[in-house]
Order: sequence, then structure tokens, then C-alpha cells
Amino acid sequence: MKPAWQSALHCSVIGAAHQRQGKPCQDASMSCSLGSAQQQLQLLAVADGHGGSRYWLSDIGSREACRAARAAVEAALRQHPLKDQEQWLRQLQTELPEAIQQRWLDAVQRDWQQQPDAQGAPFSSAVYGCTLGLVLITTQWWGCTGIGDWDLVSLEPGGEACLRSQETLEGGAAEATTSLCQADALSAWSERAQLQRFSAADAPAALVLSTDGIRKSCATDADFLQLSRELIALTSTTELERGLREITAQGSGDDVSVAIGIYQGATSARGRSALRRWLPPAVVLGLSAAGALGWWLWPRPPELSPLQRQVAELCQAPAQIDLSLSQRQGQFAQLLRQPTAAQALINEPERDPLGALIAATANGTSALEACTPLKQALNAHWQAARKTPLQPPRSPQTPAQP
Amino acid sequence: MPFPNVRLSNRPLHFIYLCDCSGSMAAQGKMQALNQAIRQSLPGMAEVADQNPEARVLVRAVRFADGAAWHLAEPTPVQQLKWRDLEAGGITAMGEALELVAAALQSPPMEERALPPVLVLISDGQPTDDFDAGLSRLMREPWAQKAVRLAIAMGHDADLEVLQQFIGPEPAGGGKSPRRPLQASNATTLAQYIQWASTAVVGAASMPASRVSGSGESGESGSNIPLPDLPPTLLDPTDDVGPLVW
Repeated sequence: MKPAWQSALHCSVIGAAHQRQGKPCQDASMSCSLGSAQQQLQLLAVADGHGGSRYWLSDIGSREACRAARAAVEAALRQHPLKDQEQWLRQLQTELPEAIQQRWLDAVQRDWQQQPDAQGAPFSSAVYGCTLGLVLITTQWWGCTGIGDWDLVSLEPGGEACLRSQETLEGGAAEATTSLCQADALSAWSERAQLQRFSAADAPAALVLSTDGIRKSCATDADFLQLSRELIALTSTTELERGLREITAQGSGDDVSVAIGIYQGATSARGRSALRRWLPPAVVLGLSAAGALGWWLWPRPPELSPLQRQVAELCQAPAQIDLSLSQRQGQFAQLLRQPTAAQALINEPERDPLGALIAATANGTSALEACTPLKQALNAHWQAARKTPLQPPRSPQTPAQP
Repeated sequence: MPFPNVRLSNRPLHFIYLCDCSGSMAAQGKMQALNQAIRQSLPGMAEVADQNPEARVLVRAVRFADGAAWHLAEPTPVQQLKWRDLEAGGITAMGEALELVAAALQSPPMEERALPPVLVLISDGQPTDDFDAGLSRLMREPWAQKAVRLAIAMGHDADLEVLQQFIGPEPAGGGKSPRRPLQASNATTLAQYIQWASTAVVGAASMPASRVSGSGESGESGSNIPLPDLPPTLLDPTDDVGPLVW
């Protein structure tokens, strides 16, 4: 049986900061089914206008980018059978980028002619500058391409969240990104292009495409991956919009967009996640005891401590283990310098569960009830911290008394 | 809360003063003027921070004289900051100060989601230690490369060349740009520059627009963040306002 995908969801929400400044939302997003029953794919797209005075029409640029993506993919779909995966990889690497960029340029140039503020000024695509990420999902493969600082996360059948695509710029210049308005940046598209085959057994549960405002709203990458997992539990555009408003208000203040494709076989996981979030634990327990919702609705054990929950979360998502611990290198070092600080973390595990876990394993992981990858990673990080020469803690210079 | 297991967070904006506390700063009230300028700028800075809740403005300060040390070591929310006076005395270990800041800009402790930091170097003299080594150490840190780096020269004895090296290359054609050391020759001008750095620059850095990579768009500003205009009365950083005191 071929894997099937549910109708995708998408949503863009104006950033809290843009709203305050009276600026328009410069993000755009799209999700749709294209083609016929025999030749059907789902398209996800997100675009992020650069904002700022130099890119004063980038809200239009991002909308036109999504439209151009749709038109270019539709045209390709009419010409190439989806089963020709080599052809579609080429499409993602070179053909679609060229077609999308040309369509986008034509569209923004037409728009420029209509702009009352243009006043005969020479056309520049830069004022429409934006990023664009797109994902194509078929019954046998998914692929992505695009330009700029969008992110793509896949939710694997086991529940693990994997970052599948992100922009990596040399030098890591602050807030810099590649852009659709760069005619010479086609190589940036091909660097992001990929095509992944799958079967019913190993199809991803979901694909979450987002603009950079989402990731920048999360404290760490581990939080971003967790957020991607939680986003797929939002079952309607209304819920998604409410969630995105929360993200931008509590986070970066930037415009935020997501487009989500969910594999039909993952319906149960999505429903389970939503139920676990909205039902009180007692109800979930009761339902579970009655066996009414089947094997997949396991109750969240209410007796788990914050530290145990942290262990469970990491063991359920092994890819997050090293990511999470790597961000705490300073904490490992600090606990070696000040072993007494461990007790404070252990005493209040709800404040910093990962810190409490690290502190609790300062003398080894043999007493820890956890999966082997987590124990091994903790041991490795402690070992690395011990090899690093201890630096005395910095203390503020006490000023001389006046 | 829709996402109970996710830590959503505004983005920290680290603002670091590097203050020359050499003996010459004691002359002609320079040290007093600097303390006063920073203290007076704090309410405006806090106001800008309040207007941009998506950024968490955290202030630190390094003092350098015979050596360099943190005067304000903890990244302190500007709203909670009480400025303790700096005192002058000693030589000018500017290179050591840069090394100290370099260590603080390592990641970690720098947060991966931080906004580009703002570094403000204020000096009235010439470095007496290995400035090049300090600058080289600083600029090895990606966060230092991303930082908005400003310099204020207090008086005509300040070494404009090293301050320019700290900021980065001078924009082509010279002219009016905050990408050159700002020259303050009296307390009023100093206060205006400090006020500008702590409000206009902080405001710009709090909500940076995306920048197209490799486009050279930073242009004259040469900065990772488009720098706001200098105060209208100080359009040319070499055009000082008020009497030449220092």
C-alpha cells in the first residue's frame, strides 16, 4: 500500500514587533495538493520578506515567491512523471530554482509598474527581497529546495525530530541570509536540494517547514525540535495561528510561518499528542484503563519526576541527546569548579531538569535509570569537561572605594 | 500555554562597555564625565529595551588600566542596572580588555540565539600592552565578528588608529559615519555619543532586519546591523560640539 498524506496546513502570523511598528506581515506560506489522482503531490512553501527600509516591498515579494513556486511546480508536474525520481532531483537542484526565480522576477517587475511610490524609478528586485523554502511530498518520496534561512524538520516514525535542512553561511554573518533577489545565487538552491525516498514502513510522520522566526523564538535547537513535534498536534489553521501568535509574542517578535505535511499513518500519533495535551491526566488515565482508545493512547505516568521526564524525553529522541548536552558544556565545567552547585540544581529539578540531570551524574551514571545512549553521552561529556583545564570562576572587579 | 515542553525565549542583546581607566582619565574630569554619561544614559536605554521586549538587553562593563577586569561581570538587565563609578589610575591595558571580552563572547556562555552584541570601546590614550594580540584574539570569536563595534575617543590624545582597527575598516571616502571613531572633546559631546549608542544603536540591534548575504549592502555602515544616523548635531564625528576641553 502506498503511503498517503493528509491535506497539509500552513499559516503565517505577523510578528509582535512588526505589529507594534505598524508594518505588514512580510512572511507568506502555502500548502496545496497539485496534479491528478495518478500524479499528485503536496506542496508546502514558506517565504520570509527581509523587512527593513531597503526591502520595503518584501511582503509582496514573499507572496509572489509562494505563487511562483506553485506555478513552477505545476508546470513541472505536467511534464515529468513523479516516479522519475532522478528527473525530480534535477528539478529540485536546478530546473525549479531557475523557473521559480524567473517567474518571481516577472511578477515583481509587473508589480513595480503598479507601485504608486515607484514614480518612474528604475526597477530593482532587491526591494522585494525574500527567502523561499519549498517541500514536495509524493506517495514515494519527498524533496525540498529553496534559498535563505528557512528550516525543515522531519518527525520520524519513532517520534524523533530531525533537522533536515538549514542554511549554513560561511562566517555566520549576523542576520544575513541568501535571497531570491540574488540572481547569481542559484548554487545556494542546489545546496539545499534533496530528495528522500520512503516506503509505508519508514515514511516520516510529518514534515514541518518554517521561517527563521520560529527557530529564533526557541531557547535552543532542542527546543526547536520539540516545538516542531508539538506543532503537528495543532489540528486546524485556527489552532496553528493561535500557536504561532504565542511563539512570536514570547519569542523573537519576528513574523512566523509554518507549513506542515502529515502522513496519514501518523493520524493516531497526532491525535494522541493532542489528547495528551488537552485532556487532564486523570481523564487520559481513565480512558486508557478502559482501553477505549486502543493501544496507542498510553497515559503519561503522573508520578514521573521532572528529572525522570527529562530522561524519558531524551531517550525517546536520541538525536537530541548530544545536541542538548553540547549546549551545557559550560555547566559541566562549572559543576567541576563548584561541586556544591550541584545540590541546588538537584533540589529544584523543575527549574532546570537537564541541569539537574547533569548535576545528578557528576559521580557517574551507574545509578541512573536511563537508556544506554544517554548514559554514554553523559559520561562522555563529563570526561571531556574533566580533560579541559579548570578556569577559576570570573568575579567582578571590586571597585576601589571612593 | 500551548507548548508546555518548549522554552520560548526572547533574544539576549549583550551590550558591553570597554572603559579606559588609565591615569590620564583623571585629568580634566574625564572619568567623572564618563561615569556621568553612562549613568545618565541608563533610563533611555531601559526605555528602548522596554519598547523592544523581543530583545533582552544585558549590560556588562570592562575596565582597563594596569590590567583589565570586569567592572560589571554579570550580564545585567538594563532596567536593574545601578552604575558604580569607575576610577582612574594606571596605564592602558586595552589589549587585555579585548581578550577578556573575547572570552565572554565564546559560545557558550553566549547563547546560540543571541542578537549581535554591541561593543563600545571608550579611550583617551594609546594602548600600553599588546593591542594587536588582543584584537586578534577578539576577532577570532564569531560573536565578535558579528558584533556592532563602536569606539569613542575622549580628547585629542586618543589613538584613533587603534580605535579604527577595533571598529573595522573605515568606509571608503571617509565622510560622516559612525564607522569612524567618534571624537568627544567635552562632557556634552561624550554624553550625546553614549546616549546615541545606548538608545539608537540598541534599538536598531534589538530588531534587526535580515541582510542579504554577500550583497555588500552594509555599505558605508560596514556593520552587521544597519547603524542609525548619528545625532543631528554630530553628523560628522570629527565636528565636535561645544568647547574643546580635552
